[in-house]
Parts: sequence; structure tokens; C-alpha cells
Amino acid sequence: MFFARRSWATGCVAVALLGGCAHSVRTEAAKLSPALEQPAKLIRLEREALIVLPTGYKRRLKPDSKWRHVGSIAQGQVFRSVDSVLTIEGRQVHEAYLVISGGALLGFYLPGESNYAALEAPVPLFIGDTQ
Amino acid sequence: MIRRFILAATLAGTALLTGCASGPKYAEMASTIPAIKQGEGRVYFFRSDSMVGAAVQPDIRLNNEVVGSSKPGGFFYVDRPAGSFAAAASTETEKTVTFTLDAGETKYVRTSPSFGVLVGRIVLQLEEPAKAKTEIQTLSYAPLKK
Repeated sequence: MFFARRSWATGCVAVALLGGCAHSVRTEAAKLSPALEQPAKLIRLEREALIVLPTGYKRRLKPDSKWRHVGSIAQGQVFRSVDSVLTIEGRQVHEAYLVISGGALLGFYLPGESNYAALEAPVPLFIGDTQ
Repeated sequence: MIRRFILAATLAGTALLTGCASGPKYAEMASTIPAIKQGEGRVYFFRSDSMVGAAVQPDIRLNNEVVGSSKPGGFFYVDRPAGSFAAAASTETEKTVTFTLDAGETKYVRTSPSFGVLVGRIVLQLEEPAKAKTEIQTLSYAPLKK
């Protein structure tokens, strides 16, 4: 009886762990309207930005990193990394572009799924050297 | 001394049994890699050369198609029409990485061992191109065997 209960409890814990401790990234559908300007607008982050995702994972946007305007969605303007790659992570990993409005990062556009993932609170960005 | 010998022999035996990547190094074969075709992009999958989790060598799937396996010290690449992709390893738990691939673009996916509850697993991450290009130089080509 004791062993049966212990096995059952162990099984439950294993299932819970196997199911993944991380939360899924919460998303909503987003339609990207591609940018028309040529050449594409570039922005540069003057300072680093530390971001805590709603899933608990953290991301650091490097100072002096460059981002290219690729279009807009309802939530803001969308920028992708020029020479690097950004991902956000929960139960899965998603390539991510910045969604910026009013000088703050509001969330991420996930190009692999055409979805938007919002941050819990906007993160102010120090944007410089636009062209 | 004997313990060290046993450890070394065990590690070597594990490597031989599990099969680390043994093809030509990237630096030796880079010139033979064809240019990306019009309208397509390229995805490199690679894994650093480490004995940690060496026995875990699952298939790698791209949009549910097996395109290779994760071998320690190995890399391979696939060319695909531009579009959206989901890559995953077939292990204990499945953690996918989703991304887009533009025409002419090259993306790099690092596969690395992690430890799950029951067995080891392989985690996939998109890697920065500059970092990946440096690391791939010393890795061996390990394409899908048909």
C-alpha cells in the first residue's frame, strides 16, 4: 500500500515536471503591414534594456544594437535585429521582433507564427541614431 | 591513475558506441557547400563537441520532417523555401523553436543537451550568426543518412 501510494505520487510529480514547468507564451493573432520605406529605417538602442518576460525568462537588449523597421501591427511599430537574433521563451522558443510605441517596448511580434506577445508592462527604450 | 584510465576508456567507449560526428570539418568543406538557391534560405543545425549528454542523439525535425540528428561535434544544413518554420528534437519533452526564413537568409539553430526527469533531452535555440559561424568552423559535417 505504502509503495503503491509512493509510486502514484512519484508518477504525478513526474507528469507535472514532464508537462513543463514553464508557462506558454501568451499570444494573440497579429497582422503585419510591411514597411514600404526604402531603405528601411534603422534605430539603435543607446542603453541596454533588461526585460523580464511574463513567463519568467529574462532577455537583455544590448546597448548599441541595431534594429530594422519591418512594418507595423495594431500595437505598434515592428523592428527586427539587424545582425543578431532575438527569441522569447516559455514552454517553447519563438523568434521575436520588437514592438515599439511611444518610445517603449510593448511586446514582441513572433514572425514564425504571426502572433503578438505582450509584456506585462511597457519597457522604456533609449532610442538613438535613427535614419 | 587506474581510475583516470578507466574514466578515459569509458568516455572513449561511450563516444565510439554513441557515434560522435566524424565527417569532414566545416573549415575543410566550406568551399564545397553550394550557394543558396533563389527563393530559398538555409538553416544550420549544430551541436558543440562535448561528452556531456553524448548518448542523447535524437532526430531533429523541421516542420515535422526529420532532417538530421543532433550529434556531439556535428553540424548539418538544410535549404528550404522562404517561410515559417518550427524545429524540434524528438526527446522526452518537446520544446520547439519557431522562426521565419527569408530568401537568401541563413539561420543557425544550436542543439544542446539538457537533463529531463527520466532521460536526457536536447534543447534547440536560435544562435547569433557571428557566434555560430565561429563555432561551426571546428565541427564535423553530419548530414542525414538515407
